[in-house]
Amino acid sequence: MTVKVLYFGRLKELFGAAEEVVEVREGAVIEDLFSRCSVARPELRKFRASLVAARNQEFAAWNTPLCAGDEVGFLPPVSGG
Amino acid sequence: MTASHPEDRIEITRNRIPNAEIAAQVRTDEDGAVASFDGCVRNHSHGRATLYLEYEAYEEMALVKMREIAAHIHANYPIRRVAILHRLGRLEIGETSVFIAVSAAHRAAAFDACRYAIDTLKKTVPIWKKEFFADGAVWADGELPPVPAETPAAKPASN
Repeated sequence: MTVKVLYFGRLKELFGAAEEVVEVREGAVIEDLFSRCSVARPELRKFRASLVAARNQEFAAWNTPLCAGDEVGFLPPVSGG
Repeated sequence: MTASHPEDRIEITRNRIPNAEIAAQVRTDEDGAVASFDGCVRNHSHGRATLYLEYEAYEEMALVKMREIAAHIHANYPIRRVAILHRLGRLEIGETSVFIAVSAAHRAAAFDACRYAIDTLKKTVPIWKKEFFADGAVWADGELPPVPAETPAAKPASN
């Protein structure tokens, strides 16, 4: 199945991309998706501890299961205001 | 989700925020207080002179989180109307990046709800700020939003 991945802030800048569609196996959780993305983008790994994930626009734990068509954002610490 | 408060104004914009107009819009004849917060671009950061800022957002999710803040303060404070506006793009020194206004019959609720709104926005709304200086630019240090705890039940059984 495929899911849409969104990058923001320093990640978007680093990768020169705001989004991509990624293939993951059925039953994959967000952590699996992160590992999958880290294969193509090895720099992503070093940000793991300073990111939170969002699934379909809600903050989500790393072990949240994914469904086909989900939108997953990897979000750096927020600094609005 | 919060259709019960149609007079609220929750927006993300790339234009100048009309602070006075927003503050006037939340006010009704039943209110004795309007508390507002004007977050503006400061000319220095960590001892360096700031030239300007750029803001970006996960816009759809930012609006979801901003509406949640409005819903929370309606549910927890005796207030009337809420406006929360955040601007994106390049902002110059002195310009408003975020404006919040809350009306209420009495001042304590207006102050408290407004304070809750800006404090929570800074911790939970997916917006990012880049600071530009004469000798470079940095993404501002931010806060990691609280995330639901991992539960063993959330992982499909693997055996």
